[in-house]
Order: sequence, then structure tokens, then C-alpha cells
Amino acid sequence: MKIPEFITRHVLLALMLGGLTGIGFILFLIEFDHYTSSEAFCTGCHSMELVAKPYRKSSHYNPVSGVRASCGDCHVSEGVLAATWDHLMGGKDLFAQLFGRDYDDPVISALSLPDAAFSARRWFHERNSETCNRCHLLQAINGTRPGTLAIHQEDTAGKSCIACHTNLVHREVPDETTFKREKWNRMIEEEFGLEVGTAEKLMSR
Amino acid sequence: MTNTPHSRGTLALCLLLTWLATTTTSQAEKVALSSENWGNPEGKACIDCHSKSSPGIVRQWKDSAHAASKVNCLDCHHADPEDDDAKEHEGAIISTIVSPLDCGRCHTVEYQQAAGSVHSKARMPVEASGGPDSPIHTFTTTGSCDDCHGSRVTVQGDGRLSSASWPNSGIGRINPDGSLGSCSACHSRHQFSRAQARDPGSCTTCHSGLDSPDAEIYQTSKHGILFTVHRNQMNLDSDQWVTGTDYGAAPTCATCHMGAAPGLKATHDVGMRDAWNLYGPVSERQHLVVFQDGERINLPVSQPAPRRGADLEKPDGSIGKVKVVADPKRRRQAMIKVCIECHSKGYIEGVLQQFDHLVERYNMEFGRPAKAIMDALYGSKLLSETPFDEPLEFTYRRLWRDAGIRARHGAAMNSANATWWEGLNAVSRIFYESFIPQMLEVAGERKGRELLAKHVTNIAAHRWLQEIPPVNNPVSDGKSATPAGE
Repeated sequence: MKIPEFITRHVLLALMLGGLTGIGFILFLIEFDHYTSSEAFCTGCHSMELVAKPYRKSSHYNPVSGVRASCGDCHVSEGVLAATWDHLMGGKDLFAQLFGRDYDDPVISALSLPDAAFSARRWFHERNSETCNRCHLLQAINGTRPGTLAIHQEDTAGKSCIACHTNLVHREVPDETTFKREKWNRMIEEEFGLEVGTAEKLMSR
Repeated sequence: MTNTPHSRGTLALCLLLTWLATTTTSQAEKVALSSENWGNPEGKACIDCHSKSSPGIVRQWKDSAHAASKVNCLDCHHADPEDDDAKEHEGAIISTIVSPLDCGRCHTVEYQQAAGSVHSKARMPVEASGGPDSPIHTFTTTGSCDDCHGSRVTVQGDGRLSSASWPNSGIGRINPDGSLGSCSACHSRHQFSRAQARDPGSCTTCHSGLDSPDAEIYQTSKHGILFTVHRNQMNLDSDQWVTGTDYGAAPTCATCHMGAAPGLKATHDVGMRDAWNLYGPVSERQHLVVFQDGERINLPVSQPAPRRGADLEKPDGSIGKVKVVADPKRRRQAMIKVCIECHSKGYIEGVLQQFDHLVERYNMEFGRPAKAIMDALYGSKLLSETPFDEPLEFTYRRLWRDAGIRARHGAAMNSANATWWEGLNAVSRIFYESFIPQMLEVAGERKGRELLAKHVTNIAAHRWLQEIPPVNNPVSDGKSATPAGE
């Protein structure tokens, strides 16, 4: 068998180097996605520390089983390409953190939370809650009462987890369909002892 | 014939009698809303899941008249996204609270009657007891007043019902939609049973204890004992429930205060047949004023009865037009229509005279004198305006409420023990042993004697106070003998 003439030593070298670089790049992406999905990385921004507080009290942080879901386990898709894409999209949050409102301010954070929650819920809906399925399998949900198993077997057609299970980890936010911005603003103002109307002023900046 | 006030009065009475005594089927009022408006197909999905997650309430609903008529979860719980307490639940927009206004979509008559009644306004005295700065305020919460009087349900900014105000089934609850009351106070969810509401137990969850001791009174009355013994003959679940026709073993609370009798409509206006107000320090007979919009108020007879068509202030502060006024006599005549199914006219008259006599005696000998003395002490600033910062104020409340209400309610429902030992006898002991000595301490020697002469010893029943020897007699003009050793 004869090697084609156009495969010279230089071409072989270039192929090998290219291949190695590609593998390196993919390995880098895997490591990058892994690291940027961690709680330590996410809470590197103070704004994320604010939403992590309720998370640390939730059953997803401290279940009796010892399984702990990190930020990325829920909020970043499976697979290196999808995960990278999610991180790229997440870049706009970084942009907002650097050049937008002062999300490190607990008041701004609380006022912005509903929109963040709605967006996150849409994200889960669009992906059929696939990140939940990393740990939770519909067939394996037994619960502690017989009804739990039956509900998950019989009443979940056409639904994914997020259809029923919201407000599990972060501060409770109503569904977008019944959300009342003005009432939310008044609640946050009262919580922080601010004058009525402060919320609108802060958010219009 | 000239149109004298007298003849106009007679005409009004005739009209009123007709109104009170309109013959009726006495079954639950037929629902006016067409059945096309219920049986929401989306509601069926609720049952699939809830028969597994909360099978108890589904079972209750399956045993209910609602299920039989194909009224499902969403028919009652559906909400508009704009509603204050609306929330998304499994794809449906619902509200947790089904308010009287929601029930009233179908049960129009019952809603209107209940809305005009004293029950739906049960929270008003709680609201009137002061804002957050009032010393009483800390008690007007769940775990005290609100449990019976109802809470003011607040919806938080995150859409949740505040746990300070919900769950609550108090009968005067102020709902997020602004309506007053809670049907489930008597018709517990999710069976909404009429049998439950006809059972005295529904009423006595709240009508028991110091300010409305009706549970104890009914249980120790002839009526209550008969009910206990013959409960299985009461036909409590019957569609039609007319005294004397569908049952006769015993009357329950609902029988006399709400129930149907021949010639008398059942009503959800629970206080309609009450000729007396038996709750305050002094009892008064009361008019029932019905406004054109169905709202009702009780007006003490010491105030002039308004004329038909007159403008009068309603409980919410707005002005309404008076449609009709029923005087205490007419109200009692309605009640008698129930009594007459078992008792003779003369017997009823005798019993009611004994009842009236006790209330009048309480008023004259204890309620009025004590109130007059308290008013005088507040008027002359010998008592501070702050409620319950002085022992006399607690004593006064024990007198008219703890014992005084028990005596009067006891007489209304014929419990010998409540009327006397725990009632009038206790009233007199509190009056002589505590109220008078404490009053003398507050008012001082001179003023105290003046008050006694003006309000107490001028009454024949108390004259003996002046005649007993001066030893330890606070009323005597003579110097008290100093007890040995002091």
C-alpha cells in the first residue's frame, strides 16, 4: 500500500499537532465547564452569594443522602457543547454584573429576582428539565407514600419536572402569569425599610 | 281614614308579617345559575392527582352534593390572574381561598342572607379594638380573636397568603376579594355538609367559653339533652328539614336561629330572630333594619326606629336606604313559629316571660348600676382611659361578661345551672364581693358613697345593704368596726 503523495511529513505533523490541539481544547472546555459550574466559581460574584443563601438551606444542598447539587448541576446542560453554549449565554449575566445595575446590592437583587426566576423557569421548560434528570429518574421516584409513585407514573404525561416543582431552592417567586410587580416592589421596600416608590426609582436607573 | 302614624305602622307590620311568614318549600334554595356554568372540564385533572396526593379531601368531595351535581375543584377554586390571591397551579390559575362571593355565584340567596347577618361582620369589633398601638392588638391574632371572628387575610408581595392570617375559617373573615365571612366555618370543606351545619357542634366550636357560653348552656338544657339522646332521629342529612315535619326529637341551634318551620323560611341571617341583644354590659331589645341592598343592622330600641326609605349609615360607613324595619316583637314572632311546633302558645309565652324577666332583672340590679358607676368613674377621670390597666375594669368585665352573659344566655335557652349558679348568682357575688369594694377604693370614701346612693342602694333589691350592721359593710354610714388584731 502506498501513501498518497500529498501526505508529506509536514502534513502529517500538522495533522498530529492539530489533533492534539483539538483534544487539548476539548479537554480545556470540559475542565472549564466543570470549574465554571461550581458553587465556588458562581459565588465569586457577590450578587450570586445573595441567591446562594437560600440554596444552602434547601434540600438540594443538604439532603439526608449527602448528594449535593452544585449550581451547574441544575443550571448548566449536559454535554460539552451544550454546557459551553450555556456558559456563553451566561456571559451576558457577567456583562450585566460588570456594566449593569449594582446586583451586589441586596435590594436590587431582590427586585431583580422574579425576572431571573421566570427566565430560569423558561430555560428548564425548553429543555424538558433535563438537568433534573441527572439525578432524578421519573421511573425511580417512589416517595414515602404510595400516592407519590402513582402520581409520577400516571399524571405526568407531557410534563417535565419544572411543570410542578418550582420554588425548591431559591427565594419563592410566584408564577409569571399571576406575578404582580407592584406588590413585589412594595414587599421588598417594606423588608428593607425603604420608602414607597424607591423600588421603581432603583430599577429605572 | 286619615293616614296616621298608627295606621302606617299597622300597614308596615302587615307587610312585614307577610315578609317573615312567606310560605316556602324550606329546602335549600335552588341554584339560579345554569348548569352550563359548572363542570369545568379542566377540573377533572385535579381529581386524578389529588386522589393520590390528598385522597381524604377527594373522598369528602365525592361524598358531597357538589360531586353529585358534577361541580368540581376548578368551578370553585378557579381565579382570574389579576386577582390578588391568584396563583398558578399545574397549569390552572386558582385561588386557595374560596370566598363567600365565590360560593355566592351559585348560592345567591344564602350568600346575600349571610352577608347581611351579624356573622359576616364578626370581625368588626376586632378591627375596632385598635391598631397596632392598641394594648389589645396583640391578642387580636390567630390563636385568639381571629380563630372565631375571622382574620383579615393578607396576600404577600410574593403571592403567598401570610401565615399570620391564613389558614383561618373564622366566620367574619375579611377575604382578599373584599367579601366578608367564611362558608366553611359551618360547612367544612370539602363535603360542605348540611348535616354538619345543623349539628350544634358546628356552632359551639365558637359559641362556647366566656363571652358566648352556649355550648355548655345547650348541653345542660332540656333541648340539648334530648338532642344527645335522640341524635339518630334528627334526620340531619335530609334535603328538606322542617321542624315538626322532617324531625321533632329536639331543636338544635340551627332549628331556632335559622331553620324552617311551617310558615317560616330558613335563613342564613342567623341573628334575625333575636329580639334581645344579650352580649353587652346592659341588654337591650333591638330592631332589625333591612336596607334596600340586603344589608342589615341591629338597632337598640332606645334609638328611634328609622322610617322606610330613610337614609341610614350602614356598617361599612356608607349611607343606605332603609327597606323595612322589624321590631323586637316581630322578630320574636318569627322565633315562636318554631317553638309552636312542639309547645302550646301559653307555655311559650310563660317561658319567654321568665326569660325577659331575668334579663330585665339583671339589667336593673347589676348591669345598669355597674355601667353607670363605671361611666361616672371614667367621666371624673378616677379611672384612666386605658382599658384593663386597673383591677376594677377586669372585675366589671367578669361581672357583665363571664357571669352576666351566661345568666342571660342561660335564661334564653333554659339551663338552670347557667342561669343561676354560674349566672345571676355569680353576678351578684362579683358585684358585692369585688365590684363594690374595688369601686370604693378607686372612688374614695365620699365619692364612693355618693355613687352607691345614686346607683345602687336606690334600687329595692340592694336596699338591704344599708340595713345590715356596720361591721365590714362598705355601704353603711356608720364607722366600720376595726377587725381585732389590726
